[in-house]
Amino acid sequence: MRHFYLPILFVLLVSVSAQTGQPYITPELQQLILAGGKNYSDVLLKQAADQAMCSRYRNRLPPEVLGSFIEEQRKTIKYPADGRLMGDWKKGEAIYNTLARGNCFSCHVGSPLNIGGNVGPSLEKYGQRGTSEAVQKYTYEVIYNTWAYFPCTVMYRFGHNGLLKPEEIADVVAYLLDPASDFNTKPALKR
Amino acid sequence: MGRFWRLAITVLAFLVPLAFAQEDDPIKEAEKQKKQLLEQSGVLPSDLFVEQGEQLFRTKRGPKQASLEACDFGRGPGKLEGVVGRLPRYFFDTRQVEDLDSRIRTCMIRLQGFRPEEIRRSEVVAIAFYLASLSNEQPVTITPVMPQEKRLYELGEKLFYLRAGPRDMSCATCHVSYVGRRAGVLPYSDLLKDKRVASHWPAFRYSNDQAWTMADRIRACYTVLGMPAPDFYSEPIIALTLFMNVQARGSKMDLPGFIR
Repeated sequence: MRHFYLPILFVLLVSVSAQTGQPYITPELQQLILAGGKNYSDVLLKQAADQAMCSRYRNRLPPEVLGSFIEEQRKTIKYPADGRLMGDWKKGEAIYNTLARGNCFSCHVGSPLNIGGNVGPSLEKYGQRGTSEAVQKYTYEVIYNTWAYFPCTVMYRFGHNGLLKPEEIADVVAYLLDPASDFNTKPALKR
Repeated sequence: MGRFWRLAITVLAFLVPLAFAQEDDPIKEAEKQKKQLLEQSGVLPSDLFVEQGEQLFRTKRGPKQASLEACDFGRGPGKLEGVVGRLPRYFFDTRQVEDLDSRIRTCMIRLQGFRPEEIRRSEVVAIAFYLASLSNEQPVTITPVMPQEKRLYELGEKLFYLRAGPRDMSCATCHVSYVGRRAGVLPYSDLLKDKRVASHWPAFRYSNDQAWTMADRIRACYTVLGMPAPDFYSEPIIALTLFMNVQARGSKMDLPGFIR
């Protein structure tokens, strides 16, 4: 009987530790990272629980943790103070097309200013979706915290990680959705 | 040295027009560029680094006025052929797993008497290029057998998948999940399955005119992703290099590499 219970106990323990976010960085790995110097280790050793989860499961979360993971990510999304999810598309254009800011063009096709990459899906003529509240909200939330929709994907969690302010994300939403935006009126540059 | 610089300037003059007419497969494209460059100038920039590295290796230098000829890269003192495909490995004299760069540094300290802060990165890179030239067309045979090597391999693998920083990045997010896709000019190489990837370092990058070892490559990956790079010669670099080089086991080395 003991042989029968042990595996069950093990599975239970693993699932519990997965949900409570057991750290990925073991003491041994911590020592290794510290040897890389202070600047390096300061950033790596601050690994958050959700980053640890994606690391442990090598970016493919198993079904039993997926639901709670997405729920946690959704809770972090914040909106602009004035509630407007579409800002100024001109400002959004600058963010989208600047390497050190949004850097969106590096991975997505769609910009008339830069040749797009193909790590992410093409966003060509994204504005065809219209500007309904649902489309605005979805677009805003994916940019704010993409892990709420695509757990562990490569895209930066712009709002969650403080790379862009909510108002700046709204500007990018406008660049993508506003029918007057160059993104929707001019042809996308492609390879 | 005068001849070296004259050659360097000649080669650079040929590099500029080469940036046009692209092939789609980056490895084929690099081969084409290499061939063109050789036809036009008769010498590759990487050969200049090899020559410079050989001078540094053979000349008696440092407080001890010694050359590096007695340095042991794992096959015994002075045995230099094919060593790049066997590194990183454990060395009994330092009781550490060392990669090509850190082993060169160790010998500069131990044989030549340099203090660690006196060691110039550019010299280590040139010497690495020289040693690389003696490993060209030889197989990658690296196999972690010592417990220290096995331990570091496992830590390197964990580090490869470790996501951190403001952009949630790890090596694997691009080099496993988005192999062949582009975010910028080059498609992401397949570090786990394409054995040609790890077996062409150290390499000359013709589009940037840079001589890089694997350590420079790793550090630049971190920096591009908005994270501070690990220090040169540090354990995280050696662990990642060990993990990646083992993935290239069995391949024939193309050294010094010539890449975009």
